[in-house]
Amino acid sequence: MLELFVQGTAEIFQFHILIIILLGVVAGIVAGLIPGFSVTMAIVLTLPLTFGMDPVGGIAAMIGVLVGGMSGGLITATLLGIPGTPSAVATTFDAYPMARKGQPGKALSIGIWASFLSSIVSFFILITIAPQIASFALMFGPWEMFSLIVAALTIIAGVTGESILKGLIAGVFGLLIATIGADPIVGVSRFSFDIQMLRAGIPFLVVLIGMFAISRLLNSIERTELEKDHKKKQEDKIKDIKFILKPKETLINVVKRPLNLIRSSVIGAVIGAIPGAGGSIANIIAYDQAKKWSKESKKFGEGHEEGIVASEAGNNSTVGGDLIPTLALGIPGSAVTAVLLSALMIHGINPGPLLMTNEPSIAGSIFIAFLVASFFMLITQFLGIRFFVRVTEIPTHILVPVILMLCVIGTYVLNNRVTDLYLLLIVGVVGYFFAKYKFALAPVIIGVILGPIAEVNLRRAFMANPDWTLFFSRPISLTFLILAVLMILFTVWQTRRVNAQT
Amino acid sequence: MGEIVIGILIILLCLLLYFNSDGFPQINETHLDPGSYPRLVASILFILCLLLLIQKVRNMISGRDERIRGNFRDNLNYIWTEYRLVIITFAVLVLYIVFITILGFIISSILFIVATALIIGPKKKKDIVIAGTVSVMVTLGLYFFFETALNVRFPNGLLF
Repeated sequence: MLELFVQGTAEIFQFHILIIILLGVVAGIVAGLIPGFSVTMAIVLTLPLTFGMDPVGGIAAMIGVLVGGMSGGLITATLLGIPGTPSAVATTFDAYPMARKGQPGKALSIGIWASFLSSIVSFFILITIAPQIASFALMFGPWEMFSLIVAALTIIAGVTGESILKGLIAGVFGLLIATIGADPIVGVSRFSFDIQMLRAGIPFLVVLIGMFAISRLLNSIERTELEKDHKKKQEDKIKDIKFILKPKETLINVVKRPLNLIRSSVIGAVIGAIPGAGGSIANIIAYDQAKKWSKESKKFGEGHEEGIVASEAGNNSTVGGDLIPTLALGIPGSAVTAVLLSALMIHGINPGPLLMTNEPSIAGSIFIAFLVASFFMLITQFLGIRFFVRVTEIPTHILVPVILMLCVIGTYVLNNRVTDLYLLLIVGVVGYFFAKYKFALAPVIIGVILGPIAEVNLRRAFMANPDWTLFFSRPISLTFLILAVLMILFTVWQTRRVNAQT
Repeated sequence: MGEIVIGILIILLCLLLYFNSDGFPQINETHLDPGSYPRLVASILFILCLLLLIQKVRNMISGRDERIRGNFRDNLNYIWTEYRLVIITFAVLVLYIVFITILGFIISSILFIVATALIIGPKKKKDIVIAGTVSVMVTLGLYFFFETALNVRFPNGLLF
């Protein structure tokens, strides 16, 4: 463990890596605070920029974007009452009323401190739990890995989107389109139908950019969306709001009630570690719990400090939680960590239980980068918030074409292939209609990235022993499969109950 | 309705891949050939989509889902006002990608940003100037960043 940190520190504390993390944090904050521009989009578009860097630089940049993005939503949530990202929804409940009462500076400072301190808490959760899970996972054979992927996809399907059936369809659809292209074991080209575009398969990044950026941007220029956006911008002229940050006093305020902070952080980290669930769920649950446990629960919703702390601690600590399955098992818990894993793969590093033993410098740098990014987030938020606020003034009609162009560049840069761009258009349309009819997009992405891994493990299992009952007779494998079945039964039962009530 | 269409399309995709998964070259006596896993996945997806279709059709018959209201023309009008910008922007995006190989990256990107900005936003003289400046700055900035820092060669196009 200690060795991991020493190596990580040596990798991260180089001047250019630190600059990269700082830029990542700033980009993340900016992305997080613009309504309609998600953190996922930012991280997806960061990936192409990291191709030319060494692996550590690339990962550091993405961790920076992730940590910054989770705290960026706070600014618009507080000042405008619009969550910049879904992860900041609960922040609007208390931070906006507090800002309205003439204390925007206090609300922002509390949020920033909560974000920072909860990142630190989740960092410690990450470094204590991830190595344990990884060493446990070393016992996994191909049977267990396959069953684990089945369980992970089922859970993702269950917690995202409208119904588990649609979630499963989305996830399995991801698995299916991942089979196009070269077979992962013998390298036979599959399902290319002699179309040039499909011969190399459907690159993961193209699916990501198409699904998360193109489809989201198309959605944002629907008439009702545009009108909503326009109305919100007129209601509050953000540049007229004056505020003074009070870093010292609010720090004391936040630290005086450690229980709320720690509880919210733990909730965030646990939810972050569950595949599919992330900041957008965590902030609501953390807020809800804080309200239940608080002595002053009646003041929640009117500008109560604890509400801000709970929401912001809840969303920022998901980052640490999210990294647990990603690093320990090679199973991404969200679209964002899926991008992180694909960045590792592009640099030739295989994620999985062996990552920490085989690539200690990479694992160590991820830990240290997370810690450093949290500090940078704190500093840049306090120093730069005035400039960040101005970003919301960029009009949609400039933002949309520029980001669309970034999508095109990002796709092209991956393989320098123009055919990938046509694929991008198709995936964008598919993603648009999927989102329109409430098929969650995260399962598709995770299906695409886990598909080849699932296939390799399935076929290895059969090569080792053609007896298929082993999936059910090996205890760990059986546990995962039972978990998957329970997940399906639970969500079906839950929807039945909700339907019966209405 | 949309769900049903998506379901049917995915089912067609499953069938297409399922019936094209034979005849991959086999290397040795492994128990799963390159087509087995896709067949498994396609079968599962087929069943899931079938379930969705059954569910949706049943809902539609029992009248729980709102059916298409009004006549055809009203619907079309609604779709056009709501999604006009989406359709036009997407068409411009397609043109942009086609024109990259003809006009080259720089010129087509500048044109794309200006065109899309004017389609979505207001069209006064001031807006044209702003959109133009932004597009030139962003395009050139990114172009040189990628060419020098990341050694990416962008398509130059046939004309230039």
